[in-house]
Amino acid sequence: MRNYLKQIRTILWKDLLVEFRTRERLIAMGAFVVLVAILFNYATDWARVSPEDIASGLVWMTIMFAGLLGVGRTFHLEAEDGAFQGILLSPVPKDAIFIAKALANFVFLYIVALLVVGVFIFFFGLEVGGSFGMLTLVIALGVLAFVALGTLFTAVSTGTRMGDTLLPVLIFPLLAPVVIYGTGATSQFLAGRPVTEAEGSIRMLAAFALTAFFLGSWLFRFVVED
Amino acid sequence: MREYGTVTAVDGIDLSLARGEFLTIFGPNGAGKTSLLALLAGALRPNCGQVWLRGETLDFGEVEWRHRIGVLSHQGFLYGHLSAEENLRFYGQLFGLSDLDDVVNHKLQHLGLQDRAGSLVRDLSHGMKQRLALARALLHDPDIVLLDEPYTGLDPSAAIVLQGVLSDLKDGQRTIVMVTHNLTEGLALATTAAIMNRGRFVWQGKRAEIEGDFGQFYYGVIEGEE
Repeated sequence: MRNYLKQIRTILWKDLLVEFRTRERLIAMGAFVVLVAILFNYATDWARVSPEDIASGLVWMTIMFAGLLGVGRTFHLEAEDGAFQGILLSPVPKDAIFIAKALANFVFLYIVALLVVGVFIFFFGLEVGGSFGMLTLVIALGVLAFVALGTLFTAVSTGTRMGDTLLPVLIFPLLAPVVIYGTGATSQFLAGRPVTEAEGSIRMLAAFALTAFFLGSWLFRFVVED
Repeated sequence: MREYGTVTAVDGIDLSLARGEFLTIFGPNGAGKTSLLALLAGALRPNCGQVWLRGETLDFGEVEWRHRIGVLSHQGFLYGHLSAEENLRFYGQLFGLSDLDDVVNHKLQHLGLQDRAGSLVRDLSHGMKQRLALARALLHDPDIVLLDEPYTGLDPSAAIVLQGVLSDLKDGQRTIVMVTHNLTEGLALATTAAIMNRGRFVWQGKRAEIEGDFGQFYYGVIEGEE
């Protein structure tokens, strides 16, 4: 077990270090969310809608699209010089590889998701108040579900000719629960309602995230083994 | 046996190698050499047949046997954005090596890379990358070494260095299988040689049995098959 955790930590650390050096994904995702928030700000007629009514949906859809940009490149650097094959030929269980890759994606996307919340609070003048802690929890659960499915399906789509085009087609239908329960809980917080009213959505989101993560770690071996 | 759709890449090969043997497999492009090596490495599942390793069937569900195999492909399995030392440390940790500092330093020194230990792999020459890839393949001191076209793209001086390292590997304790197009370099170290065409061994014999011009013999065998 100790070796298993060490292998996960090693792959996770390598992914974080490579991203820190290339900044390939974080810069692309960060620039994307800031630009989207600016465009949404100008595209919305504030005389007819209030920010609280539409912000939660826009926040979650921005996270989804930004996530696709980042998660879609999960195995991009691994493909250089066949490095992923090198990992597969080492004595690392496939589920450990999945967990490490998904956790690395979680770190990147969670940073970007918090940036999304920040820029929407700034541009839309939202009031989160005392619910900010719970909002970050809801976003963490949604991001966990996203990266679990994203990492799995990126492994599927990477080896195909359609690649990047195939990924959203595969993943978006499965992300419906994340959008439904994520926006549900976020709307409650933005409307200043008590946490108890969002409890049902949070529970459903947590159940979906954990299920997606465990299923992903189990199915990953069937995707990467020839 | 291994098939890709309607194409049979490896067909009816019955091969037994003892400890200390060095088998070089020659053959034209598309003969199935790399697929055979991938089967021996456990990177590919055979459609039928088995691979035995020191008396035990190679089990794809287990990972422990990977400690005993080292693979050098024409791809290096290296990360361009990590240094030479970081790459070796990364793989060393995946293999759970306990004396990692000593092993990494020794390998870098043995392959003449100690001065470039801190250089990013993307800044190394092809010859240096190939030596580093060999260091990676041998890091865990495997007793079975699989080499796929190790001389590809090397200049003559780098090829001599590589030949020296491969010669050191012939210590009587390891089993080595090399796939190459290079008849001279391939034959220099071999104890056994085989010619592969259309997925089958069309000739196999001891190095000592080869008399006269092997090049002429090789082309004669291939042309006889066409």
